[in-house]
Amino acid sequence: MSHAPQTVSRAPVWFVPTSVAVAVLSIMLAVFIGVVDIPPADILAALQGHGSAEAKSIILDIRLPRILTGMLAGIHFAVAGLILQMITRNPLADPSIMGVSQGATLAVSLFLLLTVYIDNPGSNTLAELPIAWLPGVGAVGGLAAGAVIYLLAFRQNLGPLRITICGIAVGAVLHAVAIGLIAGWGSARIEILLEWLSGSLYARSWRHVMFLLPFTVVGLSLLPLLRRSLDLLRFDAPVARSFGLGYRFHFSLALALSCSLAASAVGVVGPIIFVGLIVPHLARLLAGRRFTLVLPLTITLGIVVVTLGDLAGRVLGQAEEVPIGVITAIFGVPVLIALLRRVP
Amino acid sequence: MSLSCSGLSVTYGARKALTNFNLAVAPGEVRALIGPNGSGKSTALQALAGLIRPDEGRADIDGAPIAVMSRRDIARRLAFLPQQPSAPDEMTVGQLVRQGRFAHVGLFRSYRPEDEAAIAWALESTGLSDFAERGLNELSGGERQRAWISAALAQEAQTLLLDEPTSFLDIGYQIEVLDLVHRLSRDRGVSIVMAIHDLNQAMSICDRISLLNHGMLAFDGEPRDLAATGLIEEVFRVKGQFVQIAPHAPPHFDVELARWTSPPS
Repeated sequence: MSHAPQTVSRAPVWFVPTSVAVAVLSIMLAVFIGVVDIPPADILAALQGHGSAEAKSIILDIRLPRILTGMLAGIHFAVAGLILQMITRNPLADPSIMGVSQGATLAVSLFLLLTVYIDNPGSNTLAELPIAWLPGVGAVGGLAAGAVIYLLAFRQNLGPLRITICGIAVGAVLHAVAIGLIAGWGSARIEILLEWLSGSLYARSWRHVMFLLPFTVVGLSLLPLLRRSLDLLRFDAPVARSFGLGYRFHFSLALALSCSLAASAVGVVGPIIFVGLIVPHLARLLAGRRFTLVLPLTITLGIVVVTLGDLAGRVLGQAEEVPIGVITAIFGVPVLIALLRRVP
Repeated sequence: MSLSCSGLSVTYGARKALTNFNLAVAPGEVRALIGPNGSGKSTALQALAGLIRPDEGRADIDGAPIAVMSRRDIARRLAFLPQQPSAPDEMTVGQLVRQGRFAHVGLFRSYRPEDEAAIAWALESTGLSDFAERGLNELSGGERQRAWISAALAQEAQTLLLDEPTSFLDIGYQIEVLDLVHRLSRDRGVSIVMAIHDLNQAMSICDRISLLNHGMLAFDGEPRDLAATGLIEEVFRVKGQFVQIAPHAPPHFDVELARWTSPPS
């Protein structure tokens, strides 16, 4: 035998650096462009801790945490979608299919409703709304929904199709209950809820960044460990098991990771739809057969899509900004249709 | 015995798919599982591979019970190729065959030269060395089947279970697969159990044959002895006879196709 044939397609060297550069560029654009015009020199000074108090406040307290929150949320949604699409072998899987978004929605609605009665201070409630709790409540609700679906599917034979159907069914019920609550209630709090529901990065602060960051760090550092099991989970269970994979354990692990990433992001920014669905498809389209590239591209594209989407929302709406969730929905549909046309 | 089972019974709901099934396969033996559709061949193979838990009985590989082994332990000793497996669309032949090494490399270890050599050997044995970069969805049915066999070979297990590996292949590829199976058993001492529909191919390539009927073992023995029993006509509900074509070859079953001609007036 001469030498082992190359069985892994190598990517061009420039591919990953370019995608990272595009991500960095989009972040820089988002830092430098905004509703308030600040000269680039002032922005650079503010970033280094000098400059006017106004510029410092806008850049360091408003723009930067907002961009970072969006970046992390983009990574969460995109990676969660990629994992779900791989392990359920369903190209249309995304966090909303697993009931995560709906679970978070219901939890946040319930929470806001209940705090009216528990903590009833009378006239002016708006200032005291427990907004700080929303990320945690949403994340817990999303995870709880994921767990319910998992248990439903687990009692039967845990299979990709069953878990998808359970996810859609439970998601629909949770969504209906949440909408019922919102419709039957109608108070000042509905505005907070609507803003959260449309998926928004408005007024996201360092607190939100710090809420997301542990999930991001743990999630992304687990990915290299899951690399081979994710590869095998793309096969039917009997095939994956024949290759030597403990299917149920690894399927559950990947699902738990995906749900945690999605639930934490939904809790912080609300359900930004289509990111989890479209970004993995874009990444696969760009990567082609170079499968090792799909994950890094999913991460960088998740950053780019959310960052630029939010920038577009800020610039287009000026003072009345358009929520990122609306932007991704509007631009997501044509992209999705275009992608579907390329799929045989 | 490299692979054996005793008293295996499997039920799907109310239906008994396999009843008290026994099998013992010696190292290097080629064993055919034959029987009508729905007679329990696939169920038997999946139970042997530890993919379904039998209601009763046990299966052992190299003397150890499969029920308590981890999937990776099983996969190092036994490779199983299901009927008509499916793979992700964008996967290449090389990537598929690489997955066959999972049992050896596990989750973290990197691919060593011996892994690459096993992959190269698996591709070469199935005539796919030049196809490694091809997408599975660009292949013909026969090439795809060979790619899957190649992935099972890369596992380098001493026992190979194949569920109808020749179905959907034209006669040329069928013979190629059977030749490969024969070579593996003779050159490498691999034990092979395969479900197969073509009776004459089974008769000519196998050392021993197990005949299943309604989930029960109707015959277990050498092809020549099967020919003497008359079970084939009974189990498959056909008329025919075994004829000796060449002096040392196993007898050939000649099936009567004249059932539907109109009776002589």
